Amino acid sequence: MFATRVLRQASHHVERTPSIKFIGRRTTPASVDHSPQPHPASPTHSLPASFTSGSSHATFSVYRDHAQQFGPLRKTIKANAGIGAVAGSDLGPVAPPKGVFFDRNDLPARFHRQPLTAAEIEAIETGGAALFS
Amino acid sequence: MLSQRLIGRTAVKSAFRPSGLPSIVSAPRWRRTYATQAEERDLVIIGGGVAGYVAAIKAGQEGMKVTCIEKRGTLGGTCLNVGCIPSKSLLNNSHLYHQVLHDTEHRGIEVGDVKLNLKQLMKAKDQAVTGLTKGVEFLLRKNGVEYLKGTGSFQDEHTVKVQLNDGGETSVVGKNILIATGSEVTPFPGLEIDEKTVISSTGALSLEEVPKKLLVIGGGIIGLEMASVWSRLGSDVTVVEFLDQIGGPGMDTEISKNIQKILKKQGINFKTGTKVVNGEKTGEGVKINVDSAKGGKPETLDADVVLVAIGRRPYTGGLGLENIGLELDERGRVIIDSEYRTKIPHIRCIGDVTFGPMLAHKAEEEAVAVVEYIKKGYGHVNYGCIPAVMYTFPEVAWVGQSEQDLKKAGIKYRVGTFPFSANSRAKTNLDTEGMVKMLADPETDRLLGIHIIGPNAGEMIAEGTLALEYGASSEDIARTCHAHPTLAEAFKEAAMATYSKPIHF
Repeated sequence: MFATRVLRQASHHVERTPSIKFIGRRTTPASVDHSPQPHPASPTHSLPASFTSGSSHATFSVYRDHAQQFGPLRKTIKANAGIGAVAGSDLGPVAPPKGVFFDRNDLPARFHRQPLTAAEIEAIETGGAALFS
Repeated sequence: MLSQRLIGRTAVKSAFRPSGLPSIVSAPRWRRTYATQAEERDLVIIGGGVAGYVAAIKAGQEGMKVTCIEKRGTLGGTCLNVGCIPSKSLLNNSHLYHQVLHDTEHRGIEVGDVKLNLKQLMKAKDQAVTGLTKGVEFLLRKNGVEYLKGTGSFQDEHTVKVQLNDGGETSVVGKNILIATGSEVTPFPGLEIDEKTVISSTGALSLEEVPKKLLVIGGGIIGLEMASVWSRLGSDVTVVEFLDQIGGPGMDTEISKNIQKILKKQGINFKTGTKVVNGEKTGEGVKINVDSAKGGKPETLDADVVLVAIGRRPYTGGLGLENIGLELDERGRVIIDSEYRTKIPHIRCIGDVTFGPMLAHKAEEEAVAVVEYIKKGYGHVNYGCIPAVMYTFPEVAWVGQSEQDLKKAGIKYRVGTFPFSANSRAKTNLDTEGMVKMLADPETDRLLGIHIIGPNAGEMIAEGTLALEYGASSEDIARTCHAHPTLAEAFKEAAMATYSKPIHF
């Protein structure tokens, strides 16, 4: 009696496991330690003292709290920091309550309609003739 | 009444046509204004070379507001303008010329009068460069990157002053700033580069005539590529190298010896283990005094042109690092941490100007990683898996560790080799010089390094790099089906030789 091809293949796989493994979709780890570490290609494999005791900030953590940066460097933003202190999504919906309508004049002045000038009114009323008189 | 209204409306409409009307009607009804005059950018990149422009595109794709500052006037940096790209054009076309001259008869092709048109050769190179640099400019526009042509220097930790190429000055404020200013040719002390008789790699790409005698100081990759070009075009080339091997310290010693023999056969002379003492320009050319590296064998060499190819050094001139207190290491590199941050964490640095090999593809990897660090807090570059290629003929390529690296580190290894002379496709192509060499862990069989001399080695090394990145064993490659007849079969057979035995050798 001969083993089927499937069985033969299965036994072959038992004998040899490839080193290459499918690791699945790459994801960003939930927590990453951002404290300064030497660059892998650094010849000295060390960082100067200035990296851990910056000139204006005692620690990297302090720097993170003060740094202006796009992206995830900043851990937290202080509650009294004004605009930007709270994430937009936490402020609730921007739509007005039912039965209430926003008026253009509620917006900052730069969004208001610009007033028509007398010359413009004249131009409209005369069908443009005032422009050439 | 109705028709009168209609006429009135039409008249009003026509009154608002912009052409030839007084300003009150052609002026925009809505004016956009910004909260501040100088808009803060999410990322300001100083340098539009491979590192800079790739970071700019990636950041643009990530939705960041990006400004890229470049002073050359064209994007792509050394690689596209005076490095990888123009040299590959010259290498490819000079190889064709050399092959037509010397390698056709035994293939059954009789060629008539073959002439070199150096002007056209250079024009073809320039066209390749222009096409690619314009392409990069288009990509920046496509990804919404603001491109400033000028010289950027730090005013303070968040402000970069830009001296515009067209005159005038502006400044940009960035939440993040990326230094990607690249590298420049290292000059040889006492030999002033005039790009006519004493040239750098830049000058070697645009000589107006083929020099009778060319002396190359430095037998690294750049020196050997340029030596190949001008030797093929008719120069008598001598390469002087301080080390005992050519190709630089990263090249596997066995591979280095092999390629030296092959290049010697092509007509290039080598003086390894030789130091250049000094040199002087004479009316007709240059005299170079050399000695053995250990001393005691002084000699004078004459040349029409001397190419200084002793390496490159980081370029930070005029960057104003002193204004922000950033320090450099003893070789002039910007010191960074593992996330490419300088000691001022929102100022990061990538490419030739900092640690690691000065390779365009390494800079490209870093460019993507640094933007990912800024945007997502997580990036990836495997510095143990960066391929290197020398585009001579045959090409030399490697990735991972060399035999001498492993010996030095005391790591045990197993070697497997396969020569192209036993590969069917190489035989049919009549290009049988070279070999594939693999190094693997004797216990786990995991690949440690791959070294290739051979036609298209630069393409073949991609398979090795992928295998190394995935942590493959030599058996994994050996058990992977490779098409027949291809040069890639030599790669598979070398893997077979590493873990067991090759079939065809």
